[in-house]
Order: sequence, then structure tokens, then C-alpha cells
Amino acid sequence: MPKERGLSRIELLQGTLDMIVLQTLRWGPRHGYGIAQMIRANSRDALQVETGSLYPALHRLEKQRLISADWTVSGNGQRVREYTLTAAGRKQLTTQRSRWEQLSSAIAAILEPPAESES
Amino acid sequence: MTARRDDDLRAELEAHVAMAAAERVAWGETPEAAERAARREFGNLTHVSEVTREQHRGVSLERFVQDIRYGIRSLRRTPTFTVAAVLTLALAIGANSAVFSVVNGVLLRPLPFPDPDRLFLVSYLPKDLPWDPPPGLVDRQWLDYRQRQRAFERVTGYTRRAGTLTGAGDAARLAGARVDANFFGVLRISPAIGRGFTPDDNGEDVVVLGDRIWRERFSADPRIVGRAVHIDGVSHVVVGVMPSGFGFPGSAEFWTPLRVTLNEHNSFILSVLGRLRERGSTDEARQELEALAEAMPRDPKDHDGPMEAAILPLKSMITGKIAPALFVFTGAVAFVLLIACVNVANLLLIRAASRRREMAVRVALGAGRLRLLRQLLTESALVGVAGGVLGILVAQLGVRALLAIAPDGRIPRVDEVRVDGTVLAFTLVVSLVTGVAFGVVPALQSARQAPQEAMAHGGRTVGTAHGRLRASLVAIEVALALVLLTGAALMIKSFLRMRGVDKGYDARHVVAMTVDLPSLRYGDAPRQRAFHDRMLAELAAIPSVQDVGAVTFKPMSDVGMMGDFVVEGASPTPHGFGLDKLVVSPGYFPSMGVRLVRGREFTTADDARAEGVIIVSESVARRVWPGSDPIGKRVSMEDKPTSRDWLTVVGVAADVVQDRSMEKHSAMYFPYAQSSWTFVMSHTTYVVRSDIGTSVAPAMRAALRRADPDIPAQKLQTMDEALLDVVADPLFQTRLLGAFSFIAMLLAAIGTYGVLAYDVAERSREIALRMALGAQPGTVIAMVMRRTVTLAVAGATLGVLASLGLTHVLTKSLYDVKPTDPGTLVSVVAGIVVVALLAGLVPARRASRVRVLTALSD
Repeated sequence: MPKERGLSRIELLQGTLDMIVLQTLRWGPRHGYGIAQMIRANSRDALQVETGSLYPALHRLEKQRLISADWTVSGNGQRVREYTLTAAGRKQLTTQRSRWEQLSSAIAAILEPPAESES
Repeated sequence: MTARRDDDLRAELEAHVAMAAAERVAWGETPEAAERAARREFGNLTHVSEVTREQHRGVSLERFVQDIRYGIRSLRRTPTFTVAAVLTLALAIGANSAVFSVVNGVLLRPLPFPDPDRLFLVSYLPKDLPWDPPPGLVDRQWLDYRQRQRAFERVTGYTRRAGTLTGAGDAARLAGARVDANFFGVLRISPAIGRGFTPDDNGEDVVVLGDRIWRERFSADPRIVGRAVHIDGVSHVVVGVMPSGFGFPGSAEFWTPLRVTLNEHNSFILSVLGRLRERGSTDEARQELEALAEAMPRDPKDHDGPMEAAILPLKSMITGKIAPALFVFTGAVAFVLLIACVNVANLLLIRAASRRREMAVRVALGAGRLRLLRQLLTESALVGVAGGVLGILVAQLGVRALLAIAPDGRIPRVDEVRVDGTVLAFTLVVSLVTGVAFGVVPALQSARQAPQEAMAHGGRTVGTAHGRLRASLVAIEVALALVLLTGAALMIKSFLRMRGVDKGYDARHVVAMTVDLPSLRYGDAPRQRAFHDRMLAELAAIPSVQDVGAVTFKPMSDVGMMGDFVVEGASPTPHGFGLDKLVVSPGYFPSMGVRLVRGREFTTADDARAEGVIIVSESVARRVWPGSDPIGKRVSMEDKPTSRDWLTVVGVAADVVQDRSMEKHSAMYFPYAQSSWTFVMSHTTYVVRSDIGTSVAPAMRAALRRADPDIPAQKLQTMDEALLDVVADPLFQTRLLGAFSFIAMLLAAIGTYGVLAYDVAERSREIALRMALGAQPGTVIAMVMRRTVTLAVAGATLGVLASLGLTHVLTKSLYDVKPTDPGTLVSVVAGIVVVALLAGLVPARRASRVRVLTALSD
């Protein structure tokens, strides 16, 4: 990944990634690899999450108690750390989603101004 | 703990790689190739685990530095705000640091003696004396106590004294002390040169000098020990010089040996200082003192009322009197800081309003609220610290100004007052705390707002919540300023009352010169009388002088003699009825302008051969002989008077305010020619009434030189100046409080102006619309002024409530004014409303000049 990054872009990635991770966990507990695979599949391969972004995000969300983690054994016998969405995480996801929608509509409004100007 | 977390993380990441490889194998790759590809795809495992681990750290230093950089950049983009905020804070923090420097030097820093917390004063005195003696022991008890006490390692007795140094430059009146051989040892300060005292030094012939005298008068002569100096005309051999900075007790500059000689008729109180034994307690010391005092043989003439035994920390005695005043100053200056914080908080709110878009974008892009909050707080803390750094400069100047307006000798330990490490640390903490304090409300506001609203309105409309918050901050500010102003106004009123009150004497054209007669050459009454007669004659001969008189303790002096008396034919006077005993010359009453209510003045005929006479003050007459004529009644100062001890009342004089209490005292006057109290008559004030006022002073000095060239005038001042001396403390407090409240009012006015001006700017579209629809400029002005009045009234109401709750801390400093004086409150409220209206006028006028077209098309 490139070294030169504006402040807002880090936060864009970070904030958005958090939301995406939470969204992914809405369908049930999942380990890191599974989350990465699912994001990739659901975005039709458009989003490839770097492990260097994904794992910090998971641990950050865990620290914020938006998700919780447990060691279990996966279907094929691999010992994995599995993440589950907490109640707080569910709430956070709702607000982040509505905020995201507000932002998109605001940006849309700017990009496509209504025919009559305000003043 | 961390090691386990590291292992866990490693295992988690390895599992990721393993699963990716397993999937590849399932797709048909060889295990080796799958493993390689999975690792490549995963990236640098160490790096990933590092950045992940970072999430568990608290606040990363890197991010903190980033916040500071971003903060500085953003502050530089709004230089007006930054300068205004930093200057406001510098002023307030500087004022706080200056006051703290004084508090630190006077109250907090340990006394300049080794192990000072073990130094205590010992006191055993009657509880119900009519005056407030300093703690101490009566001389005969001291002799006993010194032998028998065990609670202290060592004890020492001392009394303050003053002395005139002659023969080394101009004659100079110096503060000093009589101390016993243990004195320097108890304090654990040794002379820099020579020695202290030994038990053999119980005469009047040796002296230890202070550093300043040694340098200024004896040019720091290293061989001064053995040289003779003259104190009060007596030759003393110098045995030692104390190190610089030592000036205990008071601001003593020379020390002579203490000689205790018991006097059958009088007892004297000594200060007694002890160094407590290691692990000794003051409770034990007090119990021992009580037990010893109980066992002491009692003289039947001794006081038989209840006694109080006390062991008092030395520090509390040195700083006790100034502590309440410092408390008030600290409170007042903290108010100034609060107001400054509110002001800067308001500036931040205004600034935040213009940054709403920036914040909204950052929130929308996913910046956490905490992150934004931290960023905003970093910015305000930066402003705070910048204010603090500048504030240190302000404090340096402030300390100098404070000490300059402080009355001489009123702040104890004054040379220990300076801006030092403690003060710097205090300033740093204060600036960080204020930075966060004024930043937190605006920061919460900014971080809370919904991004959509901000984006959609583009920061154009008034955020009503913002506006309300700003308005309440201004109201608080006005309230704080009002509390301070009320305090200052009460002090001013009290001060004016103090000056204006009828003091029982007429100060106009009166000049008073105080001298102390050295006991060597004026040790007995005849020689003292001869000097007085000579002086009175010399003074009367000055052409412009109308009246001349002499008194032992003039009104408005800080020393005096009090005592009780016996009335002929009555039981002893009630306990606690003490009065001033003053010895005066004929002519004193007209020269001081003390009204004679009945009877006659003393004349030259009232001499040693004549019948003993006395003049009492009105309140004595009222109290002792209610309803009957006091003239001709007899009293005595002896407990068991013989026929020669009776004194006949020949006159009644008005009560006079004698000291800083500003209360009129009961007094008895004795004629000089009949008094044998040489120990009070050696201290005399000559009073002259002359129509040329102060200009008569040089002639008075010349008269004194003719009478005795070796006696300096200890004080030469008009009675108005004497009053100013006595009210120096309240004057100082009034000035300081006045200065603080002026700053407070200024800040509050600026705050009010700022908010109104911003309101007007924000509402210019609305105002323009109203004007377009036909509103007159007058209506617009009225609209803004209505808001001003609302703000001022809300603030004033809050302030009045707070004042009613707070001004009682001034009760002790107020003379004849209640802390809740309604007149003061009303005028302060009126004043602050007027100031607020003035602050609102400029924005109001600007509002009325809004250009309709410009504002609407904006």
C-alpha cells in the first residue's frame, strides 16, 4: 500500500471498513479469513480488503466491544478465532448505515443540484 | 498478558494463511504452491500483526503528534481567533499565577528554617482579655516552664523590640528582638560570622546584627566582631552577624540578649518558641503545659479567670493574618480565569460554527466522535498552553505590581515571593486544565451534530442550540463579573465608611511626631518629663503652631496600653472591661481636636504635688456612673488602693477610635506630670495643630534636634496619613479586588459584544428580509438591544443570587457594611446592565445598516 495518504482517506477506509465488517457479521459469527472472503464475494470482487487493514479493524471493533471474539474449531478442523456481532455493534451498525445514507444523499445533492437555486 | 495476546494474534493470522492455502489445495494446487501463494496474498505477517497490535495500545504517540500538528495548522488558519483567545488566557492565567506566587511564597513554602514543622509557639493566657495578645507566657511562668518542660527539645523566649542605631550613618530606627541563649539553636540557624548568645550574655552590652545592616552600615566588614555599635544610645559589642535572609521575628535586623527581671506590680508576656521532640505530639505538649501551669505557685493578684493553653504551629502565626485576604484574592482571580474560559469557549463556539462543514465531512467519512473530540480538545489545550506560556510573562509583571501596591511590611515573607518552579508547574497545570475546560463544551457540540444538517445548510443558518449555548455562557460570564464587582463595591463602600466615620478627633491640620526615648539617658520620670517640657516649649515656639500637646499612644497607632481599674465605693469593674490608658500633656485635647464633653482639661497645675486627677471618656462615664455626674468621682489603677492612690475625675472627653478596629474605645487620660509609668512615657507622640499643615514638619524636626540631636523622629505624619497607615490593608484589598473586577467586567463586556456581533452577522439575511419587508432601522436596533437586555438581566439575576451566597466571605474585611448591602447590589446591577447595553450598541447599529441587497444575494 502507498505510504502517501491524506488524513481523510485513512479515515474513509477505516470508518467504512468498520461498517462493512459489522454488516458482514450481521449474518452470524465468522473468522477473519471468512470475513475477507465474504466482503470480496459480496462486492463482486470490487473490494479486496488488505489483511493489514482487516485485522486492525477487527481488533479495534473488539476493543470497542462492538464485536466479541472466541476461539473455536472450524468445519475442517482448523482452530480459528471467531467474531460475533454484539448488541452494541448492531446499534452502531444502524447509526452508521443511516449516516452513510445521509452522506450519499448529500453528496448526490451536491453533484446533481436541483434546478432552482436556494436564493 | 501481552505475550499471550501476541501468541493469540500469531495463531489467528497463521490460521488465516492455513485456510487460504487449504482452499487453494481444494482448487487443485499443490500444498507447497498453495502455501506460497497464500503467504504472498496475505502480505507481511509481521507488519500485519504489528498494526493490529497497535489497536490495543492506549493513545498512540504518533496520533497525538498528528493531532498537535493538525491543531497548530488549523489555529494558524484563524489568526484573529487564536490571538484573541491566547491573549485573554494569558491575562487570566498570568493573574492567577501572580496571586499563586504570593500564596506559594507566604503560605505554602516551608519556613526558611531546618525542619520547620517541629517549631511551635507555647501559650498560656487568660481567655477573656479585652484585647487580643499574641501567644506567649507570662514572665514568671516562663522561668518555671523553661526548667520543667520535657515535650520540646529546647525552648526559647523572646520579645520584639525596636532600637535606634546611631554612629553608623544616619540614625536609623530598626526592628529587633530580645532573645535568650537558646534562640538561634531552636531555629537551627547559626550566625554567618561570630557567635550567638550564651547564658552569660544577660546584659545589654552585646548584639547580633542582621546581614543588611552589616552590609549597608558596616560595608560588610569581616572583622566586625568585637566592634562597638550604639543602639538607643547604648554601646553594644557586636558578637555575630546572621546570614542573609534571616529576619525572625518580624523583620528583625538586630538581636540583643533577653533579660527577665520580675516586677512586683507588672508581668510581661514573652513569646515562647519550642522545637518539638522527634515523634512528640502537640497534644502531649499541651497537656504537659496545662499540668505545669496548674502546679505553678499563684500570686493572689494574678488573673483568676479561665486560662487557655495552646501549642501553635509557628507558621500559622507568621501567616495567620494574611491568609484570609489571600483566600479572597485567590477566589477573585479564579473568577477572572473562569470568565476568560467562558469567553474563549464562546470564541470556540463561534469558530466551531464556521467549521461545521469540515466536521460534518469528517464525521461522514467515518472519523469517530472520540477522535474528533480528541482533536478539538488538543486544539483548545494548545491555546491554553500558549496562554500559559505568555501568562508566565504576565505573572512576572503581576507579582511586581502586586508587591508594589501591597502596603509595606504587610505581606509576611515577602522576599520569598517569586515565580519559581512550583509556580511554573502550577501555571502549566492551570493552562492545560483551562484548555480542556473551555474546550470541552464546544467540542462536544461539534462532535455531536448531525452531518446531514450541516452539509445541507452549508453553515448558513443559525444553529439554535449553538446560539442558546453561547447566550447562556455570556449570562454566566456576566454573573461571574457581577459577583466580583459586588465584592469590590462592598470593599469600596466599607473603605469610604471607614475613612468617613467620626473618629472622635479632628484630623485637620494635625501633624504628629512620634519619638522613643532611650532608657539609658531617659530612664526615670523626671528626666522624661524634662524632655517633654523642652519639646512642648520648642514646638509651641514655632510661629504657625496653634496648639501643642503630647500623648503616649496617638489615635491610629498599632500599639497601646490597656488595663482595668477600681472604682471607689463599687465592686471591682466587671471582667473584660479593659480600656486604653493614655498619658497626655496639658493642651493635648485641643491640639488633637478631641472634644471635652464635661469638666476641664489638664493644666500645668496638675503636677506631682497636686491631687491626682484623671479624665475619662464618655463611654466610661456612662458605664461606671450611669445617670450621675462623673466629675468628682474617684478611681484607682491599683488593685488595693491606699488613700494616695485615688484619682479624681475632672473631665469627660469624647470616645476616640484608637486602632485599626475602627471602633471607638473607652479611655482614661492621666497627666504627664503625675504619671510614673516610665515604660510607656518613653514612647511619645507630639501633636501639633498648625494652619500650614504638613509644611510645619521641618520646623518640628528642627525642634527635636535642638532638644536631643541623637533621637530620630520615628514617625512624622499628618493624622490623615496615620489613618491611611491603619487602613492600608483594606485599601490594598480594595485596590486588588477592584483591579480584578475591572478585568472581569472588561472580559464580560467583550464576551457580550462578541456574541451579539456574531448573532447579527449570522442573522444578516433575516434582518435584511425584515427590512425589505418594511422594518425600520429603529426596530432592528430594538430587536438586538432586546436580546442584549435579556442576556444582561439573565446574567445579573444569576449574579445577584451568587453574590448573596458568596459575599459573606468578605464579612471580616467589611466595616459597617453588610455583605448583602442592597444599595451596593442595586448599583452594581445597574452598572453591569449599562455596560452590557454599551456592548450591544455597536452590533445593534451595524444590524440597522445591513444592506438589503448584499445580504440577500449572498
